[in-house]
Amino acid sequence: MPKRTHEPKDKAESGFSRRNFLKTVGAGGVAAGAVLAKAPGVDAQTGAAAVGPGPVPVTLNVNGKTLRLDIEPRTTLLDALRMHLSDPMTGNKRGCDRGACGACTMLVDGRTVYACSTLAIEVQGKKIRNVDGLAENGKLHPVQQAFCDKDALMCGFCTPGFVVASVGLLEKHPNPTPEQIRKGLDGNICRCGTFSRIFEAVSSVKGVQRG
Amino acid sequence: MASSSSKQGQGRGGAPQAPPVDPKYNWTSTPRTVVGSRVKRLDGPDKVSGRAKYTFDVARPGMLYGRIIRSPYPHAKVVSIDLSPAQQIKGFKTALIVRDPKDDKTNVLMYQGDEVAAVVADTEEHAIDAARAVKVQYEPLPAVISVDAALAGRAPEVFTGGNVRPGQTQQAGDLDAGFKDAKFTLDQTYQTHVITHVCMESHGTVCEWDGDKLTAWVTTQGVNSARDNFASGLSIPQSNVRVICQYMGGGFGSKLQLGPEGLICAKLAKQAGAPVKLMLDRKEEHLVTGNRPSAAAHIKAGVSADGVLVAYDAESWGTGGAGQGAGGFQLPYIYLAPNKRRTHKDVFINTGTQRPMRAPGHPQASFLTEIMMDELADLAKMDPIQFRLKNLPPEAPNAMWGSYLKEGAEGFGWNKRHPTGDPTPGSIKTGMGVAIGTWGGGGRGPSVAHCEVGSDGSVIMRVGTQDIGTGTRTLVAMVTADALGLQPSQVTPEIGDTQYGVSGGSGGSTTAASTSPGMRIAALKALEALKEKIAPELGASADALVAEGGRIYVKDNKAKGMSWPDACKRIGTQPITADADWQPGMTSVTTSGAQFAEVKVDVKTGIVRVTRVLAIQDCGLVLNQLTAESQVYGGIVGSLNFALFEDRILDRRTGQMVNPNMEWYLLAGMSDIPSIEVRLKNMPERGVVGLGEPPTVPTAAAVALAVRNATGFTVRSLPLTPAKIIQSLQQKA
Repeated sequence: MPKRTHEPKDKAESGFSRRNFLKTVGAGGVAAGAVLAKAPGVDAQTGAAAVGPGPVPVTLNVNGKTLRLDIEPRTTLLDALRMHLSDPMTGNKRGCDRGACGACTMLVDGRTVYACSTLAIEVQGKKIRNVDGLAENGKLHPVQQAFCDKDALMCGFCTPGFVVASVGLLEKHPNPTPEQIRKGLDGNICRCGTFSRIFEAVSSVKGVQRG
Repeated sequence: MASSSSKQGQGRGGAPQAPPVDPKYNWTSTPRTVVGSRVKRLDGPDKVSGRAKYTFDVARPGMLYGRIIRSPYPHAKVVSIDLSPAQQIKGFKTALIVRDPKDDKTNVLMYQGDEVAAVVADTEEHAIDAARAVKVQYEPLPAVISVDAALAGRAPEVFTGGNVRPGQTQQAGDLDAGFKDAKFTLDQTYQTHVITHVCMESHGTVCEWDGDKLTAWVTTQGVNSARDNFASGLSIPQSNVRVICQYMGGGFGSKLQLGPEGLICAKLAKQAGAPVKLMLDRKEEHLVTGNRPSAAAHIKAGVSADGVLVAYDAESWGTGGAGQGAGGFQLPYIYLAPNKRRTHKDVFINTGTQRPMRAPGHPQASFLTEIMMDELADLAKMDPIQFRLKNLPPEAPNAMWGSYLKEGAEGFGWNKRHPTGDPTPGSIKTGMGVAIGTWGGGGRGPSVAHCEVGSDGSVIMRVGTQDIGTGTRTLVAMVTADALGLQPSQVTPEIGDTQYGVSGGSGGSTTAASTSPGMRIAALKALEALKEKIAPELGASADALVAEGGRIYVKDNKAKGMSWPDACKRIGTQPITADADWQPGMTSVTTSGAQFAEVKVDVKTGIVRVTRVLAIQDCGLVLNQLTAESQVYGGIVGSLNFALFEDRILDRRTGQMVNPNMEWYLLAGMSDIPSIEVRLKNMPERGVVGLGEPPTVPTAAAVALAVRNATGFTVRSLPLTPAKIIQSLQQKA
């Protein structure tokens, strides 16, 4: 079965480059990059800053808002937003915790990622969007509306992931072919079996702006 | 047929202890303006926006996280448990020993994942750390892993009374005479495998104590049964427990009863003096929260020269895991066999135990029977549909298979089906298959509905049921609105909380049929009271008033009436209230369905693609056409997964599950979904029956038969993996 694969991350974007680390140290130990931990060190082989295992300050840009968290470096993007905010964002779900079911799908700089398999600390400085931020002023995103209109959901637990994956797909291909819809949503699983209706819903959406 | 098939479903239709419903409340007593139409889910916007709060999303002030330590072995004795390393972990709060090593009654673990101990910490990450730190010493014991070994007596004796429990033999007619009448005979073995429920939301609870009162958010198919499970498991009064489940992420039968994790969570919360959330992870889900038992049958069958199944002799077995049977499947499923014998053995192995899974027993019975039917049809040189028509029970409102087979053949293009084995050159072979299914469904009490109509025109319908994803919340509003001549959006449905009264669990396709009569009667009673209030003003008797289109008016003089809000202004300060329970007469039992499948099989790679499915399905009175169709789509996809992809694979030596995840436990994705046509048959005169389970019964057999028709060889076990198809092809060659 085809599954969506993640393209390898660009190391230079990771926020942990040697250059950033040296800059930070040069500034007298002040956490200019906002990634520095209580016990900083350098991995001898990669040169990356070693942080943790205790909580470190992490700044995320989610749905256009800046969020400051104090979390362990191992915390995933999904768990950070679901469990480590005073006002938690629980829209996206955790189904498998291994990047297979897609219930956690979020958009990072316009690309779909499995938030259960993405460390929060790695996506600092990037534009993160999740299902909680799709509706504007109480008005559902056209994709969300189409899911409601076509009954493209049953228990609804996988739905946030499917909705975000569909938004990601339509921002890339505003007029997708049936094949593009199928491939674009192959990384998500619905156990209730709503696929036919999700396909119908996504096919019916018009007017999503290219992202 | 009605009496025998009603036994097939979980729902029994209820022994009619209550008096039959007064005809004035019947489904035909008012025009159906909302019932039967296509109504979008009222909670759709909450679900698509992420606002819907599942148990997994519940956060309580000061909430801690629980985690269970589980057996890595399929069979082992707990020798010692050392909690002290966990106590050193940052954030550790408390721990609980579930299996006391000193207690010989409970210190033996019967399957991988069996509960040993549990911990609580301030964050989920720390709870995982603490659970890992607990030191448990096990003494591994010999385990039964293979059903075949258990049957052959080659497995260690693990279960009291033996690993194999012989069941009774059922017999009818004269089998020897039947075989004498047979012109063609068959002797084959058919098998289905174990699959797990894979609910997208794992099992779990959030438990919060206030003194001796427990509030529990549970992802459950039955808030009331969960409450009773907490009460009996914790030895506290039921009145001290409140269970809430507003949204839940799939159950498919595995969430009908509260699992051990629920009681552990409640105990941990008590011990910690704080709310505790304990959600299982994906691996735990596969191991301990239930599975569909396997089924197998060695079948000898005989067919007369004119295509009648005159003899049927089946020896069946199956496993439901550690100490659980698997016998709940009827053979030869729906078909008549005047001379038959069936003997069943339950086989116990050291795995997590079975739980009901979407139409328990039926997909298995369907596969074991339908593959044989096509093999027999080929022997008798008959078309599979003609052969089935010869062997079906007489047609009746609850036995419509013959009609559906004929209609489906026409609609699907059955006349284009080639005989067994696609003669087209090349590696891609095309084929068609058909199978039928049934399920009991039906309604039962108690399921008490409470209706309130306020002076501002607001309507509340309250019932202690739950929405497991089928759209129950929307049905509550629809049935109420339909009775009151309103729109569903004008009704506030209140469900998913034990404070809303008594109703049954959502299992056996019984929720709609169990809840809708009480709701309709309560709404109509409230309407009667409202009519009494306004009748004098309208100068007519209450009986002469009609509620329709948001107005109440005099039957013979439509202009004489008032709007719903105006009518409700006459109610006064106390709202009108009315209660009603399920009553016989508005529901019935047993569905019929037929499904046609078309596949393309690449005989070079063994890959099967299902290209088309046609489902013809009835469910009595259709309440919401839109969500009912969704149930059928979903049932088909579930059965397609059963046919082609999912499989609980055990390591033959260690007895551990090798694919307790979602990347190697395969499930269909968007590219695997065929074009599906759903033809839902509305039968208002039968009342409500139920639909959650019926459509998931026949797909797997229809797909397997389409593969047989395409390739010309018969795979007699599921799943139809590429490896198995290649292997069969090689054996055939």
